[in-house]
Amino acid sequence: MLTIFTQSRLFKKVDYTLLLTVATIILFSLVIIYSATKPTDVLPVAEGVSNSGDAFASVKKQIINICLGFVAMAMALYIHYEDLAKHTKALYILNLIMLGAVLFVGDSALGAQRWIEIGPFRFQPSEFSKLIIIICFAAFLDSRQGRLNRFRDLLPCFAFIGVPLLFILKQPDLGTSLVFMAIMFGMLFVAGARPSLLIGLLLGGLALACLWIGAHFWFEAHSNYNLWIPLKDYQLKRLIIFINPWQDWHGDGYHIIQSQIAIGQGGLFGRGLFNGSQTHGNFLPIQETDFIFSVVGEELGFAGAILLLFLFFVLIYRCIHIAINARDNFGFLLSAGVVSMLTFHVLVNVGMTSGIMPVTGIPLPMFSYGGSNMVTNLAALGLLLNINMRRQQIVF
Amino acid sequence: MERKLMERKMQVVLVIVFTIFGLLAFRLFYMQLIQNDKFSTLARENRMRLTNITAPRGEVFDRWGGKLVGNEPVYTVSLVNLAGESTGDVVPRLASIMGINPVEIEEKIANQKQLYEPVKIATRVSPEVVTRIEEQRLELPGVVIDIEPQRQYPSGSILSHVMGYVRQINPEQLAEHQGEGYKMGDPFGQSGLEYTYEKFLRGQDGGRQVEVDSMARPVRDLGVKEPVPGNNLVLTIDQRVQKAAEEALEEGSKLAVSQGYGEARAGAAVALDVNTGAVLAMASYPSYDPVKLSGVLTQNDYEEIFNSPWKPMLNRALLAYAPGSTFKMIVAMAGLDTGKTTLESTISDPGYFFWGRAFNDWKLDGHGTVDLIKALKVSCDTYFYQLGLRLGIDEIARVAREFGLGEKTGIELPGEESGVVPDAVAKIEQRIPYLSSDDTKKVREIQQRYDELLGKTTDEAQRKALMSKRSSELQAVEWELDWHDYDTIISSIGQGDNRYTTLEMANYIATLANGGTRYKPYLVQRVVSQDGRLVQDNSPIELGRVSVSPASMAAARQGMLEVTLPPDGTAYGFFNGFPPVAAKTGTAEVLNHDSHALFVAFAPYDKPEIAVAVVIEYAGHGGTIGGPVAEDMIAAYLGLPIPGQKMINTPE
Repeated sequence: MLTIFTQSRLFKKVDYTLLLTVATIILFSLVIIYSATKPTDVLPVAEGVSNSGDAFASVKKQIINICLGFVAMAMALYIHYEDLAKHTKALYILNLIMLGAVLFVGDSALGAQRWIEIGPFRFQPSEFSKLIIIICFAAFLDSRQGRLNRFRDLLPCFAFIGVPLLFILKQPDLGTSLVFMAIMFGMLFVAGARPSLLIGLLLGGLALACLWIGAHFWFEAHSNYNLWIPLKDYQLKRLIIFINPWQDWHGDGYHIIQSQIAIGQGGLFGRGLFNGSQTHGNFLPIQETDFIFSVVGEELGFAGAILLLFLFFVLIYRCIHIAINARDNFGFLLSAGVVSMLTFHVLVNVGMTSGIMPVTGIPLPMFSYGGSNMVTNLAALGLLLNINMRRQQIVF
Repeated sequence: MERKLMERKMQVVLVIVFTIFGLLAFRLFYMQLIQNDKFSTLARENRMRLTNITAPRGEVFDRWGGKLVGNEPVYTVSLVNLAGESTGDVVPRLASIMGINPVEIEEKIANQKQLYEPVKIATRVSPEVVTRIEEQRLELPGVVIDIEPQRQYPSGSILSHVMGYVRQINPEQLAEHQGEGYKMGDPFGQSGLEYTYEKFLRGQDGGRQVEVDSMARPVRDLGVKEPVPGNNLVLTIDQRVQKAAEEALEEGSKLAVSQGYGEARAGAAVALDVNTGAVLAMASYPSYDPVKLSGVLTQNDYEEIFNSPWKPMLNRALLAYAPGSTFKMIVAMAGLDTGKTTLESTISDPGYFFWGRAFNDWKLDGHGTVDLIKALKVSCDTYFYQLGLRLGIDEIARVAREFGLGEKTGIELPGEESGVVPDAVAKIEQRIPYLSSDDTKKVREIQQRYDELLGKTTDEAQRKALMSKRSSELQAVEWELDWHDYDTIISSIGQGDNRYTTLEMANYIATLANGGTRYKPYLVQRVVSQDGRLVQDNSPIELGRVSVSPASMAAARQGMLEVTLPPDGTAYGFFNGFPPVAAKTGTAEVLNHDSHALFVAFAPYDKPEIAVAVVIEYAGHGGTIGGPVAEDMIAAYLGLPIPGQKMINTPE
């Protein structure tokens, strides 16, 4: 009784700006998904031969995904988020089991195992694991306050993130691994780790990676020695092709170029909704998922793309706001993790479609077609709304 | 306070987030507003295609306006070289749908490397295959289906040798005609009139600007330039006569085979308008179906058409055969004209002529007392042995040449042979290729010397002079090459080196029938553009008039008339119910084979209109096998009921 009463009072404190922004992004996404998946009307060559198909099929499925997402959000709102901190051990283990399951019973797509099928549902545990790791790591950091200034202090953190990260690398899912890194660094930063140490690690790691890849290619070119690298060949190629896609413009560089053409020809106001030649001519690769931002760029131009970025910025701004106002450190850290995750997703996805980031297969949050991504993000935002609702002690 | 620090850090995070979004916004600004032109151009290159619309070729009509060759829309399958999409999987998949060898496709696309340029894989693709391709659309990026006009033959495959066939231009032809705007996959006349009249029949291709998707499928039409069809041909051919000729040749061949002449599988027939040289019919047997040659050629069809021992692709009307007794009118006219014989003079035929050895008549017990008319009527060999010997080969050759024998008629078809009029020079020309290694060193030395000299000159007169000099030099050393009386004797009955094309034979009979004017045979009456403009109008071309006297020709014609009369004309029994028809049978002996059957005729006798020549290879007797063909053709021409096959009992 009391809970219902308190809850109803709590609901008045829901961050409606955030909720409205999320709703706008999602509605926007439905229009773009429709455009991206609408079958191309081909001029009939032979009588009676047409490419019929349900133009709304993907939109309908995505609406189901959205509903599932809002259910997850509602559930995340309903619980006491503080309670989550008590169950992190169980969550952490559950996460490892899920990721392990992918490796053994998962379906593969594009040379990677990412999917698990349960009944009619197909889901990507690596998506959910992002949120789980945020929750667990927030609790972990909460318990280690003030002990983050030396490199030695960071080692347990690395180990904490490193175990599930290795599982994901094994799939292999480079994109999600990078999201984990982003989450970890973001949360370490706000948790008080020495910035110089983090920046040093970040730059050092980046330099090491570049050196490693450089050496790999140098050896490949100058001798038969094959320097081991923790990436498959296709990943490596995809990873670096963005630097100069034209060197293999009809091969690995093709999709990046097509995406850039789509965005670039959009101009200020775009070619008009449902009217993008790159989109409807299917020159764009996987245009309803990873490359959906290119559709926005092509059909709605700079104006549409900036509007979408603005919506994401508002969303992330609200998340930062929630973090600052969080009642406790756990909520604060959790929010910071979500901010890191969302920001990184937007940066890498938009950067990839516009050719300034490697292609790593990271979806645009709540915008790309797909259920796991939608559910994870809405659940995460549900937790944030939850944190926001309980930002002050309620005095009876 | 720890918390304060964290909040400050969060503000730093906000700055970082803002920077990131600013960076992305700047990147978009740069791409979409600064580089917009560049990307718009690239996008246009992606989606805009100028596709070709193949123009229909001109249609072909017979002299009465009946359509012989038209066009029909057929499906074509092309493969577009798409960037980013591997063809590795597409080629075998497409090949299996179409039932062809993937290597064929590989070969075709190997020639064309240019991006986005379609390479035609096959024309005349069946609707079933098209449907199956459409069903697998998404697995077949770059496969394009188009509709294109293709040759259609409303009257079936008649006149195939004259019309020839159309097929995709081959690389050699493409290289040769590059300047005329041909490109890979264009239709090109490969033989016959389709080849000779290519530049008239070929239309002007149109174009279509389309927007395509990434699989090269057209999405939107942006503009069309209509193609201009090629010019139509109106032929001199009379479809009725042509059809009769083709059917009769086939029946004649079957009849001969049924009579035990197993090699009688091929032949030719030509009908000319006596007064113009217009070709009324030109048939060659066996024939082929030009439709089969236009599309995907199956292995079976290929074998049937190109590797058949009966060589259906040959236009036998343009190949030279020994004329046999159909040559006798030439000798008769030469005899009368030079006074070596008269209509009154007679010989007594014992069934042979002895001159160094015995030359037998076909009738071994002889024809009794024979004058010139009777000699033609009963085809008396003895009479012509004697007359020929008195004339000498040069007189015979002169008259033969006046009637156009041994000389290409110049008809608008490729592959015409000139034939051979026998004389001393011709004999050596004929024998030279067969001189064997045991011939004296001297012979080889002479040959070598003249080969060099002949190779150096292209002037026709000079070549002739050289050849005749070579002949005399060779004759001096080689008895075999010398001209002998027996050469004259056998040449007088159309054997020996005599060899003429059926077209030449028909023209010789036409010249004889019209009183001595030799016309150039022609097939195309006029060329008319699609909008009805007359592009070319062909009128009869006179090649010459014979010097033989009208009386001599009249006698030869009368002799031919007698041939069809009872009781002992060699073609008596044919042409019942016809106006008087003049004819001559011929049976040309072939070493180691059955004789060729020949038949020439013109009709009506009094006022000649049509001249006909027929040959059926290895069919034994000219009258029996050749006669019905001529009969059917003339009947068709005159509008009489076509008699069909019949047996006659006069062998020759």
